Amino acid sequence: MFGLDYSWLSDPVYQGWLLRGTLNTIGLALASSAVAVLIGTFGALALSLRIAWLDALIELFVELFRNTPPLLQMLFFYFTLSTIGLRVTDPVTGLSVPLLSAFDCALVSLSFFGGALCIEAFRSGLESLPRSVNEAARSLGYSRWGRFRRIEVPIASRICLPALTNILTNLFKTTSQASVITVPELMYYAGQIYNDTFRTAEVMLLVLLIYVSLVSVLSWGMSRIERALAFPGYGKGH
Amino acid sequence: MQWPLTYHEKKRVVQLAIVLALAGWIAADALLGGAAYWQRVWLRLPLLLTGSGSGWPLTGGFALNIFLGLGSMALAAIMGTLLAFGMMAKSRLVRLPCFFVMNFLRNSPWLVLLFAMLYIIPFNVRLFGVSIAVPAFVKAVIGLSLPTAANFAEIIRGAVQSIHSGQWEAARALGYMPMAIYSRIILPQALRRMIPGWMNLYALLMIATSLATVTGIQDVLTTLNTLLSMENERVIVYFYITTLFLFFAYCYPIALLARRMEQSVKGDTL
Repeated sequence: MFGLDYSWLSDPVYQGWLLRGTLNTIGLALASSAVAVLIGTFGALALSLRIAWLDALIELFVELFRNTPPLLQMLFFYFTLSTIGLRVTDPVTGLSVPLLSAFDCALVSLSFFGGALCIEAFRSGLESLPRSVNEAARSLGYSRWGRFRRIEVPIASRICLPALTNILTNLFKTTSQASVITVPELMYYAGQIYNDTFRTAEVMLLVLLIYVSLVSVLSWGMSRIERALAFPGYGKGH
Repeated sequence: MQWPLTYHEKKRVVQLAIVLALAGWIAADALLGGAAYWQRVWLRLPLLLTGSGSGWPLTGGFALNIFLGLGSMALAAIMGTLLAFGMMAKSRLVRLPCFFVMNFLRNSPWLVLLFAMLYIIPFNVRLFGVSIAVPAFVKAVIGLSLPTAANFAEIIRGAVQSIHSGQWEAARALGYMPMAIYSRIILPQALRRMIPGWMNLYALLMIATSLATVTGIQDVLTTLNTLLSMENERVIVYFYITTLFLFFAYCYPIALLARRMEQSVKGDTL
């Protein structure tokens, strides 16, 4: 069909590469999403304490990581962290090797990038709570922590969910850029395959389809979660 | 400034202190031998910015990233507008394919789309019997404009849908034709809400132009990599910081302005 040749797909070597690449992509996405959500939660929590110097530091972090290309961040971490001293001595060979592998560098940069987006989203979620809700909780005798845990987080997390879906899909898509620093994920193996078979258009089309289906599954799952958690008045609970 | 500082003022003071501390750190580093490295960066800065050592003509470097961003945005605006009107069409036959295309483009990674376009668009296009070579730059523009167009269309759709339905009903009651309702009532109001979204999208696109290095055009990352192969390990850090700063200096003001406008648009509920 359309002159596309997919006969290489029957080769078990290429099948194995595609599978391993997909699994690595999913692993990288899961790990960086988890760290990003953690960074976002603690960042937003720290912002809600309203400590001026902490706020200034967090804003700097957010703006730095939001406004520079993730690809450049990865390259920066990959090529410079080891030169500015993050090295360990390999116990086997006695050579000095970088402390962070390519995978770690990609994980760090993706987590920071996603974390910056998460802080921003969670903060605006917390801020969008009506003041009256907080006042009602206070008049009922909730402590600061109790208010945060029982009132603010349950409501704000539902308000943030659509934004979080956006961030997580964005992060999943950005993992493809880790191939540039030789992390063996799907894009990297795609490059290996078309270097072998010269079937560039076919390989890229297949990889595009795999990514689109994975991201679609992710956003479908997130919208299911959104619907399951919805309560009247917020998000999908209208 | 009055003495007990407000929270916002305190934050500004701390931010000023951070910037000063960073400047001090860079100065201290320069005194301790970093100056020679910064000199290397300064020497190569015209090349990074314009792609030519003397700073003119603009053949590559960061200038090319800006051209790439502008070109993709223009193409995305045309495709995105068409897609948005397709998604808002009455006929399902038009609406569903448009939704499918939009979702497909929005769910695919920018890098993979760029690669796919690089290999799917042929090297030569035969037009009226004349064979025209497709330069890598054009492929990069097309590859970057596809996901941008999908996001562009979503922004238009979101803004149009956010206009209160009473506006539609009132316009119909006054006897406006459907096209006139769009052009005279809905779009003028929706445009105000689209502009911050478009600016954010442009900043995002500008960040994504760094991916165009895979197409082999002489953008800032390709230039940087060529430069770095001639430099020692230590200077690399300085070059990377400079390039990161270039992107930050270009994108941060746009994002800041977009947020200001978002705030000002938030109030008007018609």
